[in-house]
Amino acid sequence: MKSGSTLTTAESTLQLLKPPSVVTGHLTIGGLDDQVLTPVGTKPPLAWFVAFSVTLSATLIGIALIAYTIATGIGVWGNNVPVAWAFDIINFVFWVGIGHAGTLISAILLLFRARWRNAISRFSEAMTIFAVICATLFPLIHVGRPWLAFWLAPYPNQRAIWPNFRSPLLWDVFAVNTYFLVSLLFWYIGLIPDLASLRDRTTNRVKKAVYTVLALGWRGASLHWHHYERAYLIIAGLATGLVLSVHSVVSFDFAVSLVPGWHMTIFPPYFVTGAIFAGFAMVVMAMVVVRKTMRLENLITDYHLEVMNKVILTCSCLMGYAYLLEGFTAWYSMNPYIHHTFMQYITGSYWWAGWLTITCNVLIPQLLWLRPIRRSYSGMILVAVAVTVGMWFERFVIIVSSLHQDFLPSSWQIYKPTFVDYGILLGSFGLFFTLVLLFARVLPVIATSEMKMVLPGSQPAHKGGRHE
Amino acid sequence: MSDRKIFSVVGIFDSAQHLMNAIPDIRKRVNAPLEAYTPYPVEGLDKLLGHRKSPVGGMVLVMGIIGALSALGFELWTSGRDYPQVTAGKPLFSWEAFVPIMFEVTVLFAAFTAGLGMLLLLNRLPMFRHPMLRSSSLPLVTRDRFALAVEARGAEIDVEKITRLLQEFGAKSVEVVEEPAPAGVASPKFFLRTLTAIGIVCILAGFITYWTMKLFPIVKPMVHMLDQPRLNPQSPSRYFSDGSGMRMPVSGTVARGSVPYTIRNQELAGDLVNPLYRTETVLRQGRQAYMNNCSVCHGVLGDGKTSLTKAYGAKPANLVSQSIAGLPDGKLYHVIVAGKNAMASYSAELGEDERWATVHYLRVLQRAANARDEDIPK
Ligand code: HEC
Repeated sequence: MKSGSTLTTAESTLQLLKPPSVVTGHLTIGGLDDQVLTPVGTKPPLAWFVAFSVTLSATLIGIALIAYTIATGIGVWGNNVPVAWAFDIINFVFWVGIGHAGTLISAILLLFRARWRNAISRFSEAMTIFAVICATLFPLIHVGRPWLAFWLAPYPNQRAIWPNFRSPLLWDVFAVNTYFLVSLLFWYIGLIPDLASLRDRTTNRVKKAVYTVLALGWRGASLHWHHYERAYLIIAGLATGLVLSVHSVVSFDFAVSLVPGWHMTIFPPYFVTGAIFAGFAMVVMAMVVVRKTMRLENLITDYHLEVMNKVILTCSCLMGYAYLLEGFTAWYSMNPYIHHTFMQYITGSYWWAGWLTITCNVLIPQLLWLRPIRRSYSGMILVAVAVTVGMWFERFVIIVSSLHQDFLPSSWQIYKPTFVDYGILLGSFGLFFTLVLLFARVLPVIATSEMKMVLPGSQPAHKGGRHE
Repeated sequence: MSDRKIFSVVGIFDSAQHLMNAIPDIRKRVNAPLEAYTPYPVEGLDKLLGHRKSPVGGMVLVMGIIGALSALGFELWTSGRDYPQVTAGKPLFSWEAFVPIMFEVTVLFAAFTAGLGMLLLLNRLPMFRHPMLRSSSLPLVTRDRFALAVEARGAEIDVEKITRLLQEFGAKSVEVVEEPAPAGVASPKFFLRTLTAIGIVCILAGFITYWTMKLFPIVKPMVHMLDQPRLNPQSPSRYFSDGSGMRMPVSGTVARGSVPYTIRNQELAGDLVNPLYRTETVLRQGRQAYMNNCSVCHGVLGDGKTSLTKAYGAKPANLVSQSIAGLPDGKLYHVIVAGKNAMASYSAELGEDERWATVHYLRVLQRAANARDEDIPK
C-alpha cells in the first residue's frame, strides 16, 4: 500500500478505507442470473463425474462399515475402557465444528452488514447442513443400538421414565437437532427467491414442476419482501446465539465431567473458536475449487478469499492463546492430575498428535500474515488442509490423550483405532463431499437475490423515493 | 380478450429507481391499491407503498417466551416431579442445569415462528393460484425487472387510463393480468380438505389403536426390555448343573441387618426381651407389618375370624385370647420367626425390627379387645 506517500490527503485515506466492490468486472442483475442459474440442473462436466465417483465410493465404504458395526456391535471399533470415546466422538465434534463457519457467515456477518458474505453465504450454509448431517451420524452409531435412539426424545412411554435433562449429553441432543433444523430453515428461506427465479427460467416441464412446488409460489411482492427481510434478520439473530451455544454445549460434554484436561472453564470459547477456525478452512478449500471449476471468479473474488484467510489467521492466534492457557492452567492450578494430563499432551504416548495440532493450527497459519500467501491458491490450500488436519488431531488429543491415562493407573491403555474406525471417518468425508457435489449441480451455489441486492446500482439513489 | 375478471394492470420498469419515481405520481392519480414486484428487496419501497411495520418481531418474542417457559416447566416437571432423580447431588429443582435446553427450545420456537409465521401466516404461501404466477411479467420480475401492479380487488378499474398512466410514468411495457379460471378438482382447497381428512383419520386410528391395545392386551407395543434373553424367576436353566435358573446364596450367608436366631423351641424363647420402646413410630410400623402379613389369616382385629376360616376351614389362632395375651413377648416373636404348625415362618418377609414392632402391635390389639374403663379417652 502507498501509505508512505507524502501526498496522502483525507480524501485518499477515505478511498483506502472504503471496502472494495463485492464483484469484479461489469455485471448486470440479469447477467448474474445467467451466470449462476444457467448451469443448474445441466449435465455436469467429466471432472464432476470423476470427483463424484470417488466421493461416492468413499461413502459406500463408510456405509458398509457402519452396517458391519451395527450388525456386529461396536466392539469392532478400537474403543475400550478407559478410552470409551474415540473416533466416533472426535468425528462428531469435528463435523459439528465444520458447520459453524456457515452459520457464522450467514448469520453473524449478516448482522454486521459485511456485504462480502452474500457471495459465499449460500455455499457455506449448505456446507453447514451437510456437516451437521455427518456429525449426527456419529452419536447415532455410537449408541450401539441406533434403532433405539428415539429413547433420547422426551416422549411419554410405557416405562414411565424421562430422559435426564441435567445431562450434557442430552443438552447435546437438543442443541445439535435445533442447530440442524434452524440451519435448514434459514437455508430454505434464503433459497425461495432463487427457486422462483429457476422456476421462471426453466423450460423443462419436470424441473418446472419441482421448482414450482419448492418455491411455494413466491412472486416477489414488496409486501412479501417486507416480512421476509424482517424474518430473515430475526432468524439470523437467533442463529447467532445458536452458533455460539451449540459448540459451547458440545464442549460441556467434556467440561462438565471431572476428567482432568476436560474440566476447564475455557472450553466453551475455545471450542467455538476452534469450530469457526476449522469451518473457515473447509469453506476456503471448497470456495477455491468452486470458483475455479464453475467460473465464478468475478463473484467470489480474491478479496473474498483474502478476508476469509484473515478470519482464519485471527482464529489461529486465538487457538494459540487457548493452548497456552491450557498449559498455564495446568501449572497455575497446582493440580497434579491436570498437570499430568497436560504433560501427556506434549510428551506422552501421543506426543506427536499434540505437536501436530500445535504445528498445524498455530504455526502454519501464521504464513497468512504475508499478503502474497493470503492471495495465492497454493498458499491458502496448504493452510486450509493443515488446519483441517490440525483441528481433527486437536480433538484426538483432547479425547484420547486425556482418557487413556485415567485416575486408575491399572486401567491405563493405549488406544489403537481399527480399520473400521478409519473407514467410517473416510465415509463421513465421502458423504460430505457427495452432498456438496450434488448441491453444486442442482441448486444455485450463490444466493442470487442477495447478490442482486448489493450489486452496484441496484438500490435507488436516494432512499424513500422522491421527496415531495 | 376473454370475459374473465381483471385482477390487475401491471407495468414493467427497468430499474428500482424508475419504479420508485413512478409510485407517488400514480398513487395521486389512481384510487386503487398498488403492489410492487421486485427481484430483490428494494430499500425504501415498503415505506413508499405504506406497508405497516412487520409484526414478525412481536410474534417471535411471544413464541420465544412460550418456548422458554414450556421447556423450563417441562424439565422441572419431568425431572423434579414426575420422575424425580437426583443427579450429581443436585437438588430436584436445579434450574441451572435446565438452562441449555431451555435456550435451545427458545431458539427453535422463535426461529420457526419467524420462518413459518412469515411464510404461512403473513405472506400466505404456499399459494400456487395467484394471478401473477400466470402472467408473463413474473419471469421478468424474478430476473431483473420491477413491476408495479394496480389491483382491482373485485372492483372495476379503468384499464385504458391506467395503462396510459403507467406508460407515461416510465413503464416499458404494460400487461393486463386476469383472475384465474375457477378452480378445477385439483384445487388447493381440495388438497387442504384431503389433508384434513387424512389428519382426522390418523388421529382416529391413533385413538382406536390406543384403546384396543389397552383393553385387549394381545399385542405388546415396544417392549424391548421384556423381550430380551434372560431368566425369569423359577424358570429352568441348562447353564447350571442342577438345572435350576435360581441360585441359592452361598452357605453361611447372613443378610444385612439380620441377627442369627438359634433358639429352636418356643418355650425357650420366653426370656427374649423386646428391644424396641413403644413409641408411636414403632406401633405404626407394627400395624403396617401386621396388616400386610398377618391380617389375611388372623383378621384385622386379631380375633382369627376371616373369610379364610370359612372357605378353607383353617384355624388361625385367636391372637386376642387370654391364653395368647398371657404369653411373653419372646414366645410371640418365636412364632413369627419359626412359624407354628400350619403357620409358616415370616422371617423372610419381616426384618428384625418389624418382627418386634409387630409383637408390640399384637399387645395393642389384645388391649383393645379387652378394654377397661380407664382406656376410654375422656
Ligand atoms: C397363612 C395364615 C396365617 C398367617 C398369614 C399368619 N398366621 Fe399366625 N397362625 C396361623 C395358624 C393356622 C395358627 C395356629 C397354629 C397352631 O397353633 O396350630 C397361627 C398361630 C399364631 C400364633 C399363636 C401361637 C401359639 O403359641 O399358639 C401367633 C402368636 C401368630 N400366629 C402370630 C402371627 C403373626 C404375628 C403373623 C404375621 C406376621 C401371623 N401369625 C400370620 C396362621 C397364620
